Amino acid sequence: MAVETNSVSSCARAATAVEARFRIDRPIRPARAARIIALDEKAAEVARDAAVTEWASARFLVCEGVAVGGGLAVGDFFLRGIGGEPAVLDEVLAGADVVVMLATDDSGAGCAYAVGKACWERGIMTAGLVLDQGFGADEAVAALRPHARVLLPTADETDLAELLTALRA
Amino acid sequence: MLRQEINELLTQTGPKTPMGELFRQYWMPACLAEDLPEDGCPPIRLKLLSERLVAFRDSKGQYGLIDEFCAHRGASLWFGRNEEGGLRCPYHGWKYDTTGQCTDVPSEADNSTFAENVKLTSYPLVKIGDLLWTYMGDPATQPPFPEFEFAEVPPEHTYSSKRWQQSNWLQAFEGGIDSSHVTFLHSGGLKTDPLFKGAKGNEYNLNDTKPFFEVADSEGGLFVGARRNAEDGKYYWRITPWVMPCFTMVPPRGDHPIHGHFWVPIDDENCWTYSFDYHPVRPLTLEERQAMMDGHGVHSENIPGTYRPVANMDNDYLIDREAQKRGELYSGVKGIAIQDSSLQESMGPIVDRTKERLVPADSGIIKARQKLRKAAIELRDKGITPPGVDPAHHRVRSAAVVLPQAESFLDVARDDVRVKPGMPVASV
Repeated sequence: MAVETNSVSSCARAATAVEARFRIDRPIRPARAARIIALDEKAAEVARDAAVTEWASARFLVCEGVAVGGGLAVGDFFLRGIGGEPAVLDEVLAGADVVVMLATDDSGAGCAYAVGKACWERGIMTAGLVLDQGFGADEAVAALRPHARVLLPTADETDLAELLTALRA
Repeated sequence: MLRQEINELLTQTGPKTPMGELFRQYWMPACLAEDLPEDGCPPIRLKLLSERLVAFRDSKGQYGLIDEFCAHRGASLWFGRNEEGGLRCPYHGWKYDTTGQCTDVPSEADNSTFAENVKLTSYPLVKIGDLLWTYMGDPATQPPFPEFEFAEVPPEHTYSSKRWQQSNWLQAFEGGIDSSHVTFLHSGGLKTDPLFKGAKGNEYNLNDTKPFFEVADSEGGLFVGARRNAEDGKYYWRITPWVMPCFTMVPPRGDHPIHGHFWVPIDDENCWTYSFDYHPVRPLTLEERQAMMDGHGVHSENIPGTYRPVANMDNDYLIDREAQKRGELYSGVKGIAIQDSSLQESMGPIVDRTKERLVPADSGIIKARQKLRKAAIELRDKGITPPGVDPAHHRVRSAAVVLPQAESFLDVARDDVRVKPGMPVASV
């Protein structure tokens, strides 16, 4: 078989340790405008812990479901910043390109559906971390599944920081 | 993105490194059994985890894996004479058995005990299936033999090959749990490769280019589920198991044999990619076996007498731009294995992960790195045995199933991802 070994653009020239030193080395901007939305109270604690770290552009929020009969329909909810200040989903999602939803139990299933749907309509990437701490989160997993492009159903608390770090959030 | 120090931790596997110590907790493929085909055959050189070794099969059929270099003056024992129960250095005649014990120093007096005090580092080498396996850790903590299904089915049901990959093990392995690249890089192979084509699942793969992912812990590592739309409100799931540190399986297609890989560090800039195919309930057909030997499926066509692929970085992987333009080969590179190796080697010998821009779809990779790092640190700091050492963790399968939308892939397919000897794989 004839083998061409002298190609100017040969990968061989681009794959040595010596060559690697000459690669463009320019600071990388944060890639993701991330929103982290905790779907229940225990998830909110995890989000608060993670929010202590300095992130490039991540914004942490808590979603509070509203019971039927409270004047709102199923799936309606209140959104607050991690410090308790009210937030509006439309504004939260404006400019966001990834939303990470956190759940530890089933209580946030309605929020998951609503946030997931809103992201879907806006073309925003979604990820769901279900921190299964033995409280049973099957419904949260089920609610997140249709709308979280990536789901970690057996996540632990460190997964959030790991994911956000990897995403340069 | 990884910090530099974590990238170094995960990619350095030499002696005394945290990741090197982690690898040394496991039985790993050392070479193919065909490398040592008969008693008294020539020895072979091996480098594993940055240690230079020779493997040999003595005149009595015992396998040995010992330090490559003679204790006397450091000559390579690859030049050794394999004779009468040992490997003899041709320089001055020192002879070693399969445990590395020196048994003869010809220059010493006839009744000398000098040789008894000379012993080379050695590791156990055992044949299981088509492979010879070694354990390079503390003999006191040697685990039971591995129990991967591909190595336990009858010989006529299984086929293994290997190729030299010129990159660090981690970037090679990461391709093994990265299901989303299949739709692009390997799309040509789904239509034409004799070991892939014809499966119903291929249609789901090709029709839905934006899979959803679920990444779940398993006892030995992870299950990565990739979900695509199927008909009648159902999902097509492809479930990829990873057993720590470097065993992955590819979800099956129809009744084709099921396949997977081991990614074994040679040193920090090279690795062995072991590729296997097996069928749990029937022998491989002659056509299937020939296709594997010809480099189809996950296997590669290698330069005769070597494990270097014919298409390699020195010839730009024989890229065919016309085939790329015609849509036959998405990247222009032929063959599943070389499509992977070409891109993974193009990243450089050790990819600089401080410059990555990962996306949520890379969560399997993110989670796997996290588990490797945690395991390496827990082993170093607390002596905790890592996942994947227990042979029970090896008894996993990949699966490809169609499930109702509301079902969790791990709940419904729990039995499908466990080895059931004599039972077919769950495949579409």
